[in-house]
Amino acid sequence: MAPKKKEEPKAAAAPAAPKPPEPERPKTPVFDPATVTLEFTPEQIEDFKDSFQLFDTTPTNEMKITYAQCGDLIRALGQNPTNTEIMNVLGKPKVEDMHTKMLDFDQFLPMHQHICKAKDCGTYEDFVEGLRVFDKEGNGTVMGAELRHVLATLGEKMREDEVDQLMQNQEDANGCINYEAFVKYIMAS
Amino acid sequence: MGCGVSKSNPFHKNAGKAIKSAVLIQRWYRQFVARKEMRRRYTWHIFQSIEYSGEQAQIKLYNFLGYLMDNFTPASNERNLISHIFRDNEVCRDAEWERYFCYKNIEVPDLYSGPHLTFPLTVEQAVGLVEAFRNKKQLHSRYVLQLLLETWKQLRLLPNINRISTCHSKEITICGDLHGQLEDLLLIFYKNDMPSLEKPYLFNGDFVDRGKDSIEILIILFSFLLVYPSEVYLNRGNHEDHIVNLRYGFTKEVLSKYRMHGKRILKLLQKIFSWLPLATVIDQKVLVIHGGISNTTDLSVLARVDRHNYNSALRPPKKRHQREVGESIDSDEEAGSTNKVLQRRPSLTSPRTLTRNCFQNRSLQDFSDRLKANTVEEVEVHERLPGPFGPENDTSQSCESISSEDEWKQILDLLWSDPMAQDGCVPNEVRGGGCYWGPDVTEDFLNRHNLQLIIRSHECKQEGYEFCHNRKVLTLFSASNYYDVGSNRGAYVKLGPDLVPYLVQYQASSMIRELSVRQSAGRSERSANKVLREQLFAHKSDLICAFKKLDIENKGRVSLANWASAVESVMRLGLPWRIMRSQLVTGRSADSSIDNSIDYYEWFNELAIKGANADHIDQSLLETLYRHRSTLETIFRIVDTDNSGFITMEDFRQTWKLLSVYLKMEITEDAISDLAVTIDSNQDGSIDIEEFMEAFRLTDKKSRLERGRSMFMGTATDLTKLEGDPHI
Repeated sequence: MAPKKKEEPKAAAAPAAPKPPEPERPKTPVFDPATVTLEFTPEQIEDFKDSFQLFDTTPTNEMKITYAQCGDLIRALGQNPTNTEIMNVLGKPKVEDMHTKMLDFDQFLPMHQHICKAKDCGTYEDFVEGLRVFDKEGNGTVMGAELRHVLATLGEKMREDEVDQLMQNQEDANGCINYEAFVKYIMAS
Repeated sequence: MGCGVSKSNPFHKNAGKAIKSAVLIQRWYRQFVARKEMRRRYTWHIFQSIEYSGEQAQIKLYNFLGYLMDNFTPASNERNLISHIFRDNEVCRDAEWERYFCYKNIEVPDLYSGPHLTFPLTVEQAVGLVEAFRNKKQLHSRYVLQLLLETWKQLRLLPNINRISTCHSKEITICGDLHGQLEDLLLIFYKNDMPSLEKPYLFNGDFVDRGKDSIEILIILFSFLLVYPSEVYLNRGNHEDHIVNLRYGFTKEVLSKYRMHGKRILKLLQKIFSWLPLATVIDQKVLVIHGGISNTTDLSVLARVDRHNYNSALRPPKKRHQREVGESIDSDEEAGSTNKVLQRRPSLTSPRTLTRNCFQNRSLQDFSDRLKANTVEEVEVHERLPGPFGPENDTSQSCESISSEDEWKQILDLLWSDPMAQDGCVPNEVRGGGCYWGPDVTEDFLNRHNLQLIIRSHECKQEGYEFCHNRKVLTLFSASNYYDVGSNRGAYVKLGPDLVPYLVQYQASSMIRELSVRQSAGRSERSANKVLREQLFAHKSDLICAFKKLDIENKGRVSLANWASAVESVMRLGLPWRIMRSQLVTGRSADSSIDNSIDYYEWFNELAIKGANADHIDQSLLETLYRHRSTLETIFRIVDTDNSGFITMEDFRQTWKLLSVYLKMEITEDAISDLAVTIDSNQDGSIDIEEFMEAFRLTDKKSRLERGRSMFMGTATDLTKLEGDPHI
C-alpha cells in the first residue's frame, strides 16, 4: 500500500467551511424603540439635527428622511454599523420600502442611540489582525487582488465599483498593499 | 494518492477571521462613503451660495449705477465715470459700426505663429482652430475681428427662436454651460466628434466667464456656426452680457489677451451677444433655453421682440421709469428681511419657505436716501424721487399691447430663472433676476405651447445633469470641475427623432485620475473652506456685534448653539455651521472650548487672515475691501475707460466715493489716501488695478500650519499624514 501522501496543509481534509456566522450576536431580538433610553446631550442632539437636515430632501423641509438614508446618516455621524444592524433597527423592512418609507427625527434618535451603544466598532488591532490572515508571506503586505476578492465575495459584499473606489491608489507597483497603512487610511475618515 | 485538493477558499481555518475582517473593512468603507457624501453636500452649498450671491451683488451694483445715471446731474464726475457702460443705446448706423470694427488696417506680423484665416471660412480652418487652441495658440486680433464681423452678419439673419428638426434620423447634440473651460469642449469633441452635416449641435449659452479660455470657445463656436449654419445653433445665456462679464472675468480675459484691440473686440461682442437667439425648439416638441420660464413666459411674444435691443438682459432699452430689482446689500435687517427667510440654500432638493411678494408688486428701489447721506461734494441730487412704479401704475404704456416692461421680463426670465420643487412662481432673489418656477408652471406652459420637454442649463449639477418636474425639465451642465477639481461631472445630451434624451457624462482634467478619492474630495473642501473663511473674516465687525449680543455676561465666549445661530444670522448662507465647526474653529479657540463654548475673539485671531501692508489701514475699511472685493474690482474696470489697467489717483478717489455711497458707508479722505499710498509706490499718480487687488488678497494663515492635519476631526484618530501634499 502506498504510503499516504503528505497532504497539503490547505487540502480539503479540513472540514467543510462552516456557514459564515453573522458578525453580531446570533440571536438578534426584534428592535423595540420604546426600550431605548436616550443618553445624548442636548448639544449632541442639535448636531444630529443639523446633519439630519442635510440629508432631508423633502420639498418642504419636513425633517424626514427615507429608510434608505438612515444608514448613511448614522454613518455620517461617526458610527459604522453593518448593514444587518441597520436593517435591524429599522425593523427589518422590505427592500421595496427602503426608498418609500420615511422616518422623522424623533423616530431616528432611538435607532441611532441603539447603534451607538452597541459594542465593538472594531479597533485598529482587530483590523490589522484580520488582514494579517491574508498576509501569506508575513511581510506586512497583502495582495490587492486577494483583498478585492474578499471584499466582493465575503461578509456584506461590496460592489465592484465600491471596491475600486476604496482601493484606488492603494496598491503598489506589484499589486501589494501595506495593510497597516491601509487600515490607517480607512479609519482616518 | 491523495484526496482531491479542492481549489476552494484556501483559508478555511481562518474563514471566520477572514469574514470578520472583511465585514470590518466594509463597515468602515460605508462609513467613509457616508461622511464623504455629507461633506460633499455642504461643500456644494458653500460654493453655490457664494456664486449666486455674487450674481446678486452684480445685479444690485448695476441697478445702483443705473440709478445714478438717471439721477446725477450731467456734469458730475461720478456720472462721467460710469456713463460709458450705458452707452449701448447710441443710435448708430451699421456702416459706422463697420468702420469702427474694421480690421483691415490691423497688420499681422511675420512672427505670428498662430492660425491664419481666410473668408469664407472652410471646415479645415475651423478644425484647424480647434487644433491650434489645443496647442495653446492664440488667434490674432485681426482675424478675431474679421471672424466676429462675419458672425455678426450671420446672427442678424436668425430669428429669436431657432426651429430645428431631427429629420433624416439625425441626432442633435446639446451642450450646456461651458464657462470658458476649453478642456471640456475639447473632450466633448473628442467623444462626440466635431460639428458637421451629420452631426448637428446646439450650445445652450454661458460660453464665457469664470474659465480662462472664453474667447477661444467663442471663436470655435462661431467658426462652426459660419461653416455649418444649418447644423450649429447657439442660444444666449445670462453670461452673454457685458455687465456680467465685467465681474466674472471675460472682460478681463479679453483685455489681457488682446491689449491693443481688446476694447474693440468687446464692443463687437456686445452686439453679437445681443443678436444671439433666445431659444430653440426641436421638432416642435422640445424647448431649449438657457435659464427657464416663468408663469408669464409666452413664446409668441418672444418671437416678436427686437432682441438686439437688449445689450444686457439686465436693463431694458428704455432708461426711464424702470423697475429696480434688488435690495440694499448690507442692510438685510430692514423690513426686507422677511423676504430672505432661508433655512437652506434654495436648491431644487431643499428649497426655502416662501414669504415673499409677487414680482409685480415690488416697488421701485429708493436709492435717494443713500445719495443724501454721502459725503461727496459735487453730487446734486435731483428733487424728483422715483415713486413706486410698476406695470399697474405705468399708465403711459397701457395702450401698447406689449409693454417694454413685459418684454424685458420675458427675456430676463428666459435667461435667469431656476426650477423649484414647490408649485408656483416667485422672484429669484438669490440670483437677483428671473424667477423660481414650479412643476405646475411647467405643466401649464408645456400644455399651452404643445411641448413635451424643456431642456435648460444655468445651474451646476454634480452629475452634469438632473431631471425635475416629473422629468419634464432637464438641466444640463457641461463644465466639469466647475467649482473645483473633482467637484462635478459635465454632460451633454443627444436627441434623436424619438426625442428621448440620451445623456453622456464626462469629467475633464487628467489630475482627477491620479488623485485618490479622498484627495480629490479634499481639494474641493479645502477650496470651499478657504472661500468661506474669507467671507467670515470679511464680516468680522458684524459677527462680533452678533456675538456680543448673545454674550450677556461679557465673557468673550458664546455657546456653540449661539455661535451657530449668530454666524447664520450675519452670513445668511443657510449652511450647517455646527457640522462645519471642526474646520472653521481651529487652533486654540477649539482646544479651549470647555463646555463647548467658543472664545470668539480668539477665533478671529485664528482665522487670522491679513494681506500684506494692511496694518495701518482702518479696520472697517479693510473689511469692506474684503467683503466687496469683486464689486470694487468691477467698479475699477468700469472706471478704467481706456482699459489700460491703470486709473488715476483722482479716479481712484472717485471710485471709493461711489462705493461708499453704494454701501452707505462713510469713508474719509484720509482713509482713501492711506489706501492709495499703499499701492502707488512709485508715486506717479496712477494706480495699477491688478497690483492693488493683489495687495489685498487674503492670505490664508492656516496654510502655514501643519499640512498633515486632518480636515475632519470627528473621530479621535489623526492619521492623515498619508494624504501627502494637499496642494497638488
